[in-house]
Amino acid sequence: MLLKASYDTKPRFWRRVFSVVILATLVIAVWLGVRLSRDRAVTYDRIEDHFKYGSTGGERGSGIPYSVWKLLPQVFPQYLPGRDYAALGLIYEKDQNGNLKDLPIGVSKRNVMGIDRVFVNCAICHVGSVRDTPESAPRIIVGMPSNTVDLQGFSRFLIASARDEQFTAQRLVPEIARAGTDDWINRLGLSLFGISLMRERLLMLGNRFKFLDREPDCGPGRFDTFNPPKALFNFPMDKLPPEEWIGLCDFPSIWNQGQREERKMRLHWDGNNDSVRERNRSAAFGTGATPPTLDRENIKRIEDWLLTAKPPPYPYPINEALAARGAPLYAQYCASCHGKSGSDFSGKDVGSVTPIDQIKTDRARLDSYTLELCVNQNLLYAGYGNERFSHFRKTFGYANAPLDGVWLRAPYLHNGSVPTLRDLLEPAENRPQEFYRGYDVYDPKRVGFLSDVASEKGRKFFRYETKLKGNGNYGHEGPAYGTQLSPDQKDAIVEYLKKF
Amino acid sequence: MSLRSRTKRKLLIILVVLILFGGFAAWFAWNKFFREEPEQQFANEIERFKYGSIGAEADRGIPYWIWLVLPRIFPDLMPGPGGYQSFGIVWEEGQELPVGFTKRIIGFPRVANNCAICHTGTWRSKPDEVPHVVAAAPSHTANVQELLRFFINAGKDPRFNAQTILGEIDQVTKLSFIDKQLYRFIIIPFTRRALRQQEEQLAWMNRPGWPAWGKGRDDPMNLTKYFMTSMPVDNTTGQADFPSVWNLKARKGENRFLNWSCDTPAVRSVIIDSALGLGARPTNWFLQRMEQLDNFLSESPAPKYPFPLDENLALAGSPIYKRLCADCHDPGGSRTNRPIPIAEIKTDPERMATWTQAAADEANRRVKEMGIDRPNMVKQEGYQAPPLDGIWLRAPYLHNGSVPNLRELLEPEESRTKVFYRGYDVYDPINVGFMTSGPDAEHSGWKHDVSERGNGNRGHLYGTALSAEEKRALLEYLKKL
Repeated sequence: MLLKASYDTKPRFWRRVFSVVILATLVIAVWLGVRLSRDRAVTYDRIEDHFKYGSTGGERGSGIPYSVWKLLPQVFPQYLPGRDYAALGLIYEKDQNGNLKDLPIGVSKRNVMGIDRVFVNCAICHVGSVRDTPESAPRIIVGMPSNTVDLQGFSRFLIASARDEQFTAQRLVPEIARAGTDDWINRLGLSLFGISLMRERLLMLGNRFKFLDREPDCGPGRFDTFNPPKALFNFPMDKLPPEEWIGLCDFPSIWNQGQREERKMRLHWDGNNDSVRERNRSAAFGTGATPPTLDRENIKRIEDWLLTAKPPPYPYPINEALAARGAPLYAQYCASCHGKSGSDFSGKDVGSVTPIDQIKTDRARLDSYTLELCVNQNLLYAGYGNERFSHFRKTFGYANAPLDGVWLRAPYLHNGSVPTLRDLLEPAENRPQEFYRGYDVYDPKRVGFLSDVASEKGRKFFRYETKLKGNGNYGHEGPAYGTQLSPDQKDAIVEYLKKF
Repeated sequence: MSLRSRTKRKLLIILVVLILFGGFAAWFAWNKFFREEPEQQFANEIERFKYGSIGAEADRGIPYWIWLVLPRIFPDLMPGPGGYQSFGIVWEEGQELPVGFTKRIIGFPRVANNCAICHTGTWRSKPDEVPHVVAAAPSHTANVQELLRFFINAGKDPRFNAQTILGEIDQVTKLSFIDKQLYRFIIIPFTRRALRQQEEQLAWMNRPGWPAWGKGRDDPMNLTKYFMTSMPVDNTTGQADFPSVWNLKARKGENRFLNWSCDTPAVRSVIIDSALGLGARPTNWFLQRMEQLDNFLSESPAPKYPFPLDENLALAGSPIYKRLCADCHDPGGSRTNRPIPIAEIKTDPERMATWTQAAADEANRRVKEMGIDRPNMVKQEGYQAPPLDGIWLRAPYLHNGSVPNLRELLEPEESRTKVFYRGYDVYDPINVGFMTSGPDAEHSGWKHDVSERGNGNRGHLYGTALSAEEKRALLEYLKKL
């Protein structure tokens, strides 16, 4: 009663003000709520575009603010080997108007909590480029191992920028305002905590991945596959025995996954997993996608497509007569491990692991994958039903892979130490001791990329030294591997392999 | 309506609301903390031995998600890279949990241990091989003491807080908002408190300079004394190998004993007491499970020697074995599973000294208090002579694992190796035991020094006077057991 009386004595004006304030607060709260709960990736209708630019969900946890991404090459050019991300081998396609696209292949964009973020996707390692001549336009081929992308250079650039004292909100946010790539709310967020959070995270990653510095440089088209997972588990990397340190290997091709699944082929260079689906999720960690952040719908689109994705046929002339002479030689020396053809993968040992003391290739990559890591991987995706990893095994050799699209999978052997197919048919002492990687002009004579070009138009290519630990080019040689055939017979096999 | 009845009405409404809320709160608490979900199915009894619950999750379980992220938060507190694998515990490919770890949902998922953590071992014929896992074998590679220390040290580390733990859990799964708060305000603090308690209960093994258990060993009777009973901490130390637990029917019978110094007269008692030591709750379900384990382990055969055997040589060894060893080591032998007086066996007496009649009485009293009726523990003077079933996989030898292989056991003390590395599971078929020297053994193994207290390799000089030829024959015969 007393309350009611005192209420009546307040002027109506304050009551109105009160209601307006409440209303305004509610509206702002709802608008903020909507904005902060936003989680929308850019979508693509065509599956090839989805593969090249679609999001796996990595931006949710590891995303770099798009506006910062665009800015970094301008603010920190000293850490790039050229003017922009293209200098790191990332491929920029042209849109239908002939202008370069905003983002390169392998970088996806998603709006999370109102901020556009980017991160890498599958395509950064699994889309490559082939040019017929130095003047030709590049053929962009999806599913091919990336032959130009320097993933290590890319991560080094990000970490070096983060370590630079200029990586601050004061330096970056005004530039973002000038570029107009983010609105005032996002700029405020970036100023208050976004930039420093990103810096912290990159520095943390830089520390956790310091171990990469004790391996030879990856160069384009390669990375260390299984030491990073140990770092993600936070294994103390400085306590690993030296045999485990070097896990460098080539990116693989990813066509025809359906056949590989049906035949229960052992996947990854050392054949440590025979489940395509599990392997996909394992690889997705590389795009920043974790069990809670993986975009399962987007991944499923890619998974389904990869089941039947095929490599493009060899585009250069094939000497059919020579190839015909190569067919029976291939059948005798190669087919039992590598399959009947580029599309028929039947064969006694296709997809099995050849023990290391038989194949005798460089064992560093094999030894980098350990039983310790293998059993810890059983906990990945725990709590997600049958998504929990259970197919990893420790092997003691390298897996025999089918050769679909082998012309595009140069250089050869797990560590990319042999530049061309013709070189692979030579005993190790005749194979190039040093060569260059990253150049995408093709060599139809020896079947692989031109590997004796050190630089072109100011762009330097990567010098690969086979004498370094982990880079050995020996093995896969001897009578059973065709290295003792006549030069003519070897030419014939190589010609036949062009048809795969 | 009058003022009083209006107040009464208000009070009634409040009462009803309170009761409803109380009922909901009770259901919520039961659902989140006590509701038991049925255990998973196991393909066979071996799998159940390795991964099946013995009922320890309610009282000694660690919340699963905390258990999962601890190695990522505290890698500096572990022996090396490899998460839980770095303790040498057995972890099979494809399996969510290491052997000896169980998972059950009691409100929330919890992880506890079972027998297999100390009683499942591995062997390899060469380094480039995935270890063969043998259930019921001694866990030769496991450093259980370091594992216990890890949990304790993690629990008292300032990083053991809700923000850090939930931050890591966020990377692996999406807990609901409510579950997150439950973890933040109840589950994580409770776990920290429980680990503090464990620290107090295990302070005796962490005395500075105290002999370590090492890989494949523990201090079983002191664990019993200080965990099951609460006897005051004394000055004894009794490091002893984990034994094999297969073929237990060969250890049953009138006046037969188990435990290294014959402290228990019945298989069932050892099984029950060991499980209680792991934190199992003494319920009817528990007793049933112990009976199942007894039956299973009684019939489990010892593993056969997997390397080439010289049958003729082994044949020549058979009469030597019968003459020198059978009385003490044949199942049903006149002295098998019975105490051999310390004055005769002359092995390291420390282990025997850890157990007393008072301790036996106290342990028996405690178990009776729990409502369990089982044959009573005793105190004997001497060490038992066990059957030698699967002896090839039970290296190193003597109760304290002080003799690396069978060949050395047939040599006089002066010739036995004084410092070697145990816990490396690559086998040595020439000396019959595991490899205990070389860079790989040194890297993976734990250093056993016979001069350390309780680690002495004296005694059991039977057969040391045989000729070299006879020793070779006897050794070959022993591989067949």
